[in-house]
Amino acid sequence: MKQHIKKIMLYIFLICLTVIMVFPLIYCLAASLKTNMEILAMPERVFPKNPTFDNYVEIMGSGSFNVGPMAFNSLWYSASSVFITLFLSMICGYVFARGEFPGKKIIFAIFSALMFISLGSITIYPVFDILSILHLNDSLFGLVVMQCFGIPVVNMYLVKGFIEGLPREIDEAASIDGCSFTGTLFRIIAPMLKPILITIGMLAFNGSWNSYLMPALFTMTRPDQQTLIVGIMEFKNKGEAATAWNLILAATATALIPVVAVYTIGNKYITEAFIAGAVKG
Amino acid sequence: MKGLFLRKTTLQGHKTMPLKRSVSIQCYLLLALPLIGFFVFTIYPIIWAFLKAFFYYDKNPFNTRFVGIENFINVFTKDKSYWASWLTTFKIMFMKLPFEIPMALVFAVMLKNVSKKSGQFFRAVFTMPNVVSTAIIGVIFTNMFDYFGFINELLINLGILKEPFNWFGSTIGSLIALCAGSLWSCIGVNILYFTAALTNVPEDVYEAAEIDGANTFVKFFKITIPMIAPVFRTILLLAINGTIQGGEYIIAFTNGAPGGSTLTVGAYMIKAFLPGFATGVPNVGYGCAAAIITSILATMVALIYQRVSIKMKEVY
Repeated sequence: MKQHIKKIMLYIFLICLTVIMVFPLIYCLAASLKTNMEILAMPERVFPKNPTFDNYVEIMGSGSFNVGPMAFNSLWYSASSVFITLFLSMICGYVFARGEFPGKKIIFAIFSALMFISLGSITIYPVFDILSILHLNDSLFGLVVMQCFGIPVVNMYLVKGFIEGLPREIDEAASIDGCSFTGTLFRIIAPMLKPILITIGMLAFNGSWNSYLMPALFTMTRPDQQTLIVGIMEFKNKGEAATAWNLILAATATALIPVVAVYTIGNKYITEAFIAGAVKG
Repeated sequence: MKGLFLRKTTLQGHKTMPLKRSVSIQCYLLLALPLIGFFVFTIYPIIWAFLKAFFYYDKNPFNTRFVGIENFINVFTKDKSYWASWLTTFKIMFMKLPFEIPMALVFAVMLKNVSKKSGQFFRAVFTMPNVVSTAIIGVIFTNMFDYFGFINELLINLGILKEPFNWFGSTIGSLIALCAGSLWSCIGVNILYFTAALTNVPEDVYEAAEIDGANTFVKFFKITIPMIAPVFRTILLLAINGTIQGGEYIIAFTNGAPGGSTLTVGAYMIKAFLPGFATGVPNVGYGCAAAIITSILATMVALIYQRVSIKMKEVY
């Protein structure tokens, strides 16, 4: 009996905690259906008295704060970012798991050390210098090009670990049948990497959709290329914020929905990646 | 792969070399993009920053001049706001981590005691804030901590406050708001880390303790904590590192309000030197010197922490 009461208390506590954890998101979604008057005058009434989609209609069509093109920018930027990250982590993971070449250990050590060498944000200046030679320094496209040359260290580890768990006989069989080293990756190994690639893809989507600093720097002179997050932040910092909380929160909700949806569908993959990372680290 | 070579050697002798070389060449070709990127976007910028640290450089070639170690000296002697940002970094760390880490551990232990299905559900919900952009956390929490916002109304209705409190008008209020947002966002991941650590604690230790009459608290302090101490140490290091490195969140949330008093060192570097964020013409050379000093100090903090916390590794 005492055990039962303990269990019930535990569940009640955890449910309360759940409410607190989802509250800011619910609050944002609910407020995006309110008028600005209601947000400012009645903040303690979480759910709107007369829900209205006017805010969404306004941000989709208004001139000063037009979310449509921003959402489109966010979308193609995230999509290309996911594709690039998947491709690079697959290649790096495979080469370091199965490749044999002079300097393998040294290159791997240097790539791993990348996680720790960083001078922070100041290095954007030399990076811009290089990209400006190619006229890529002031567009979102430039950021995508730069990512093509990036080294996804953590993801590389994930893929490497996964491939090392696959039996080597598969590679050998492919090789005897005349499949080249590169061919083995794309024809044999890649299809088997599906679970780990889903995880990496989701994390990459979150990372790129949510990133603020880099897209902001790359779209400084190109407002038409702003991503959703950058646009929201700019609008918030303009000082009009107090008079247009309804619009800001509607745009915020628009930016929230894709990541929360992806997370809801695939949280199993994401939480597992975190736990796997923790155990290895 | 090695087994394959061995077989080929015995069967075909001289044909091994071309095959092996072909694999090497393919490896290098596959790694071409990351290797180029490594030299162009990682090594070159670091060398560039180390050279520019000895110059006055504001992107105008006519103003550029060699100043020796003046930039470094100025960081140490003149730049009060830089050191204030370090102080803020530690303030946030000491306000946030004593809540975040123990709470995460306690919740992880609680989640161990519920059924597997509901454990997964709660973990998924608690981790959800982590997929929300730092910028969006800034927006939502700015609204909630607004003068006319939800938190003030709630505290007044609960009788804790008599009149609305201007959170972003005072340093401590801003810091509390920052810590609240950060706690909300980070606790889920820490719960996951602790969950992973707890699964490695053998169940029979608890059973033995139960037979000896140990209650929940005794089990928690005498078994759980000592058993996961090494992991605890790593989780704390990650959290400390996150506070030092993460500037984007502060920029997106308070942007230093009031008066730059909530800028951590990472946020200060962004706000003082980056195009679009800095006001006026920043001396990038000086920024490079500050960045070098920052990363040396951050490494030192990590090393000192490793030193101080070495006991945690040997608890069990």
